[in-house]
Amino acid sequence: MTFDFSLIANHLPLLLVGALVTIEITALSVAIGTMVGLFVGIAELSRYPWLRIPAKIYVDFIRGTPLLVQIFIIYFALPIVLGMRIEPFVAAVAACSINSGAYVAEIFRAGIQSIDKGQMEAGRSLGMSWGQTMIFIVIPQAFRRIIPQLGNEFIAMLKDSSLVSVIGFEELTRKGQLIIASTYGSLEIWSAVAIIYLVMTLSITRFVAYLEKRFH
Amino acid sequence: MIIIKDLHKSFGDKEILKGIDLHVKKSEVVVVIGPSGSGKSTMLRCVNYLEVPTSGSITLDGKTITREVNINTIRAEVGMVFQHFNLFPHMTVLQNIMLAPLKVRHMEETAAKQTALELLKRVGLESKADARPAELSGGQQQRVAIARALAMHPKIMLFDEPTSALDPEMVNEVLEVMKKLAESGMTMMVVTHEMGFARQVADRVLFMDEGRIIEQGSPEEVFTQPKEDRTKEFLSKIL
Repeated sequence: MTFDFSLIANHLPLLLVGALVTIEITALSVAIGTMVGLFVGIAELSRYPWLRIPAKIYVDFIRGTPLLVQIFIIYFALPIVLGMRIEPFVAAVAACSINSGAYVAEIFRAGIQSIDKGQMEAGRSLGMSWGQTMIFIVIPQAFRRIIPQLGNEFIAMLKDSSLVSVIGFEELTRKGQLIIASTYGSLEIWSAVAIIYLVMTLSITRFVAYLEKRFH
Repeated sequence: MIIIKDLHKSFGDKEILKGIDLHVKKSEVVVVIGPSGSGKSTMLRCVNYLEVPTSGSITLDGKTITREVNINTIRAEVGMVFQHFNLFPHMTVLQNIMLAPLKVRHMEETAAKQTALELLKRVGLESKADARPAELSGGQQQRVAIARALAMHPKIMLFDEPTSALDPEMVNEVLEVMKKLAESGMTMMVVTHEMGFARQVADRVLFMDEGRIIEQGSPEEVFTQPKEDRTKEFLSKIL
């Protein structure tokens, strides 16, 4: 067995381009997912069934089916319904955002529920509406509390985004596959890909720990 | 000022309030006493609709609360002070007091700040304007909570066991603020176990038990010549 370091060195720039794409798609998906998750999480707590029930169905459906199948549905099945092709980038971000939204919704729901009921009562007793109390009092406190879980979601999404390689979208994993197809360097390239993922996830862990400290 | 008519409130099968009738006049200070579980707090929380009554009506300053009336505008006129203060921990003391005037009354920032500082002075905490609630003692937090409620210029103040969660040495500083407020002519309903405060400040004392008002009168009447056996029994336990 030989381990050819030059193979990694020669293809590192290409892998790093892939890593950047991975970060891009993850950041975009988690950002969209956080906005979706905030609204869905609040909807799950609504007293109106017409908000609560669809939110619950969305969360249950996404969390109960594999991300890989969700990617296939958006990239292969949805175009049949729409009658038009969907770009791999759009499909990848859509699938990851919709997926992330469901997990973030549960994080927000639990975070909001963890805030003492007295906070809502204090806001309401001052004449603020339910929405105002949520925006100015409950959500800011909930947000601080859920930073670690949002960080975990970011890390999970970063790793799971490797699944969009199956629709030919050239993020880090797909770049690795393509390099191996022309060099046969499975051992070297997959090792390099794994280490690049590891460096990214460890950096995020550190960053989240820093944020947590700053907010407390 | 406050007219409560045949107020009932049930949680599930359990009826907590079994028909309350009460008329509180302007500038009157009504202290509500009674054993725990008697419905004192529930009655108070019904007044600003933190609990929605099962039946009966509540009229505040001539406005009967119904589903059609915007509850937020009525609540803005009714200040409430809670047992556990419920200050907003992510904001400074000043921000706590300014929030509702800014968001509900749409006051100018500078005017809201000036009002907040004046109120802090009134409760003796002007030096704590930039502190976070967690940096204050319980007594100080409760005084901030009173200032926060007063910032909306309420016509009525409700106090739900405001000193029950405090260490004994902090009770007086809060009662002093409440006493001054009563002297300034504020209409107040106070649920409390502080009988000294009730004797000194109350215009009327209500004794509640099992969801009903059992007896009411001046502090003198209720404390020294209670008519009902249940009142006598309760007072013998606590005095």
